[in-house]
Amino acid sequence: MSSTPVKIDYRRCNGCQRCYDLCPSDIYIWDEEIKMPRVAYIEECRFCGICWMECPKRAIDITYPAAFW
Amino acid sequence: MAFPKMADKVVETDVLVMGGGVGGCPAAAKAAEHGLNVTLVEKSKPERAGNCAPGMDEIGPFTRDGVTALDLVKHDKEGGQYLDPNVLYKIYDSSLWALEELERFGVTMRWDDGEYYWIPWFLGNDAKNWLRVHWLNAKPEMAAAVRKRGVNVLERTMVVDLLTDKDRVAGATTVNTRTGEFTVIKAKAVVIAAGKFLRHYDPVTPVTWKYKMAYEFFPEASSGDGHAVAYRAGADLTGMEMIRTSDVRDALVMRGGNFAHNDGIFGKVFTWKGEEVSRAPGGPLDYLELARKGMEPLYLSLEHLPDDFQKRIEAHYVDERFLGLKIAEERGFNPRTHRYQKRFTPSNRNHATGIDVDENLKGSLQGVYAIGDCAYSGGIGCAGAAIAGLVVGDNIHRYVSAAGEPALDEAQLESQKRIALAPLAVKDGTEPMELECAIRFICGEYAGMFRSEGRLREGLNRLGSLRREFLPGLMAKNPHYLMRCLEVRNIMDMAELHLQASLARKETRGEYVRLDCPERDPSLDTRRICQRTEKGKAVLESREVPELKPEYAREKK
Repeated sequence: MSSTPVKIDYRRCNGCQRCYDLCPSDIYIWDEEIKMPRVAYIEECRFCGICWMECPKRAIDITYPAAFW
Repeated sequence: MAFPKMADKVVETDVLVMGGGVGGCPAAAKAAEHGLNVTLVEKSKPERAGNCAPGMDEIGPFTRDGVTALDLVKHDKEGGQYLDPNVLYKIYDSSLWALEELERFGVTMRWDDGEYYWIPWFLGNDAKNWLRVHWLNAKPEMAAAVRKRGVNVLERTMVVDLLTDKDRVAGATTVNTRTGEFTVIKAKAVVIAAGKFLRHYDPVTPVTWKYKMAYEFFPEASSGDGHAVAYRAGADLTGMEMIRTSDVRDALVMRGGNFAHNDGIFGKVFTWKGEEVSRAPGGPLDYLELARKGMEPLYLSLEHLPDDFQKRIEAHYVDERFLGLKIAEERGFNPRTHRYQKRFTPSNRNHATGIDVDENLKGSLQGVYAIGDCAYSGGIGCAGAAIAGLVVGDNIHRYVSAAGEPALDEAQLESQKRIALAPLAVKDGTEPMELECAIRFICGEYAGMFRSEGRLREGLNRLGSLRREFLPGLMAKNPHYLMRCLEVRNIMDMAELHLQASLARKETRGEYVRLDCPERDPSLDTRRICQRTEKGKAVLESREVPELKPEYAREKK
């Protein structure tokens, strides 16, 4: 099990900004250099799954961390 | 005027809606239909904001199948709540109208076959007056209705405080949570739809380590922002001592809504030894008794339900918490063979706490309206919020057309701007989450499920010293953390009210437990605790709950 509960697959990401745009907890920031999102505030994630279900490229994976297992 | 210089941006509007959730969106859209200039402020984005951001599986109750608004009001009163029955009546009586309105706004209300899917609810009869919905995309649909009607939407924007002009509301100040832009909004009326207050307690599964926002519902909509700004502006709050409980360990993904009651089939409760508990624990005291007998953990089991029903539960998961299904699968959790561990914690929706409103959802401060979980209005969860939002949106033009232009007070603006931006200048201060956790610890330890006078007094002392020592030193590295700092300021204010109101209610009833006052006090059957500020001083008083008006008390045929 990985300890990073929200993972972005940058090979799949098309930089559409939906995750950055829609995350209610604002855990993403936009990285202008690579034109892709980054998870900046993972400790504020509440595992609602909105980025996961909105991502058109299925580039985001969310798994439960040990803390909630 | 100097105030535009003070602000990065000035917005003038008829109606300011605070919160773009399931209450705020219908309110904004409906008010705009009446030709008003409406501005909606949302900390995230209305497309996925509020407590049903990822979806919702069921809403209600509605007045149908032989169940009247009066039946529903009576049912709510039996729950030991002190809600104003006239407000409740108004909400329930508007429920079927609201259903049609939401549908007209483009919100999916029907099942796949084009029919409404009515399901039974807890009324002790077979009446089907609860609506099973596919609300996976209800929020995007509501947001589209808002934008289509020309509402000015300010995303990633947090309200700092309300502006007042003598005894009426004059608008609000806000900061952008990504750019730090300070905006002054001048408004004739403000609709507060900012959700419940819950962040004074830890999440359902409290973790001592990292993920401190993993609440059952959304932490952004649980910081009591609406409560706090209304209170600081002088509006009355009511019922701040109340909390509701959640009773499943994994409520973050496995919600009550995913369980059996939806289709009228109930789960069974077992002790750890596999003995069925004949009467499921109904509240904290029942649970405490079972725990004392060494019978916990208790488990909720759905194993006995037929296969067809198990499939329906999976569909519930998808409609409310799509991710929940994936996580359950990954953890090897199968409701057909596993049992859900029960665990009573302060959590869940909290619709019996908040801004005091009359039956038109008007607060005590002129021009302020409150809807949904931040209002002391009743009505359940998203249905209650959406109905109240539509009622306000449909009527607020009457107030707005009679209300003149409010005047803005420069001194007020200056002080709000100073408070709003101060954490950005603090170096080597306290991180917002650290202070928030300290508040949560105090509420959990000194209030929580089982309260008593001594503990509450000690809790208030400790909160007071936290406020003195650490609130001024809150530090924000960037505008994102500035939002968290402003949330903590709200949580601190409301946590104090929570403890003060708990001290004042010396009795035990329903889910409200005072260990030092174990009896229900019948003289409090019709009294509620109101709190407000008057010239900067906190005032707490007990007030009579209004009677149901005679014209409502007559059964409609």
